[in-house]
Parts: sequence; C-alpha cells; structure tokens
Amino acid sequence: MLAHQYSIIKRDLDAKGIVFSFSGYLSEGILYSLGEALREKMTLEETDGPTIRRVFSVFVEQMQNIIRYSAEKLTGGEQRAVELSAGMVTIGMEQGKVFIVCGNIVLNCDVPRLRERLDFLKGLDKDAIKTYYREQLREAPEEGSRGATIGLIEIARRASEPIEYDFAPSEDGKTFFCLKVRI
Amino acid sequence: MDSLNIAATGRTPDVHFDFASGVLRMRGESYPDDVATFFGPIFSALRAYLAEPDKTPIRFDMELVYFNSSSAKALMNIFQMLETVAEGGRDVAIDWYYEPDDDSMMELGEDFSEDLKAVAFTMKARPAHKTSPG
Repeated sequence: MLAHQYSIIKRDLDAKGIVFSFSGYLSEGILYSLGEALREKMTLEETDGPTIRRVFSVFVEQMQNIIRYSAEKLTGGEQRAVELSAGMVTIGMEQGKVFIVCGNIVLNCDVPRLRERLDFLKGLDKDAIKTYYREQLREAPEEGSRGATIGLIEIARRASEPIEYDFAPSEDGKTFFCLKVRI
Repeated sequence: MDSLNIAATGRTPDVHFDFASGVLRMRGESYPDDVATFFGPIFSALRAYLAEPDKTPIRFDMELVYFNSSSAKALMNIFQMLETVAEGGRDVAIDWYYEPDDDSMMELGEDFSEDLKAVAFTMKARPAHKTSPG
C-alpha cells in the first residue's frame, strides 16, 4: 500500500515531465543546495551555459519570492530568529524546453495586485520587458514589495514564452498561487 | 582609508575595495537572502570614501558572474554613487566583465550603462574567474 501510494505520486510527476521537485518548508540554505544540485545536474547533462544560467536565475527569483511572500510561514520565538516559508517548486522538461513551476499560499488581499502585475508583464513583448526592467532598476523599491516587481520582470525576461499563472482557493480561506515559466 | 575586504560565500561575492589605489572589485555570485545586510556595509564604506576630498581615479571591476534582481538594484545604487562623483569631475571607470557566451550578462551591462554619462563604462568579454565558496 505504501509503495503503491507513493508510486502514484512518482508516476504523476514523471507524466508531467518533472525531474526535480520539492514541497515543504524552504530556507535560503535549501535554496542554495537545491540550486547547486540543479546546476550540477544540467552541467552533467551537457546543457548549454546560457540555458543553465537562465534556468538558475528563474529558479532563484521564484524561490526567493516564496521565501518572502508565502503566507504559510513558521516563525521561531524570540530566542530563535528563524522564519521558514512553505511552498513547492518543480522543474521539468516539456517539448524540449525546461519549465519551472512554483506554488505557494498567498493572502487573498494580495491576489488583485499580484494578478495585475502578472497580467501587465504577460502583455509585454521582449523589448517592452527590457525597457520596463531598465525603469525598475532605477526606481526606489515600492513600499511593502521588498523588490517583487523587478524579480518578476527578471523571471519574465528569462522566459522563452509568456509566463503562465493561476490561483485556486485553498482551505483556510487563503489562495494557492502558481507560476509556470518556460525557459 | 582602509580597504574593504569581504570574502566570498556561496551566495555572496568576494568584495575587494582598495581605496588607496582607487581599484574596487566585486567577483563571484550575489544572491544573498538579505540584500540590505550584505550591501549595507559596502554602501557605508563607499559613501565615506567618496565623501573624502581625494581625487584618485576610480576603477570599478564588475566581475560578478551572476546576481539576483535585488542585488541588481544594489549594484545600480553603487553605480549611481560613482556617476555622481564622476559628474563632479572625478575620473571614474567601470569595467563590466562577462563570459563570452553570456548574453544575459552582456545585455545587463547595456541596461546598467544606459544612464551613465560621466563614468567611462567598458564591456569586457572574458572567461570568468572562479571563486571558491567559503
């Protein structure tokens, strides 16, 4: 029964072309280790340098977005200034392209602004994304954003196709947010 | 003024600001969890150095092979500080190194150099130095 249950999860991941997945509490240390493993794997498979760099860049921005903005967090007490954010990250291959999908819980009140930013980015072509990046590089950070705008632009810039995103209601009255990027 | 030396870690670059000679260098990768904590001391040291009446020419060697988006903003801050003193008449050069096959880093160099008028900005393609993570 145990093997059967987990083989279903494994088969589902395989069917989606997912070669790399993590779900649970993330820290910067985990980001670093997973990132190193990801680069090593791509190097062993002789993926070209520019692709490895683009995948890594999207991976870091996506992971740091989860760490900063996930609404599912564990915080240590006063003695231990630790904060762990929950989320999931999957990386796979689809029609010869690498894709990264990240998911995490967000607060309902943050959904409209996030949706607005992503829709805006989706509507931009390569040149417009570049111009927007240059503008944001010189802007002071938006209040309460901790730099998400430029992080999302960086993600859109490294993508070879328009970014795809979705929201779904989660139990606990919050929202599950998902972002798919093809490189 | 004493030089500023910060050893590289897995997620932060090697920083070597030799203020006496005017040669400032950042090398490695930059994607720290807390950009403000990492770049804060760098900004303070640089601000103090640039406030001195010293007119030694400055050369900034940008040898990062990767930086995340929040480090990009910090780097832009540094460049804007350098542009300000260059406008004031100080000789300032920024050399932007990138690996020959790294189109992203080359394009970023163009993004960063766009508003720099007083600084002499040069793009230099060459294989990267390896820094060992600490």
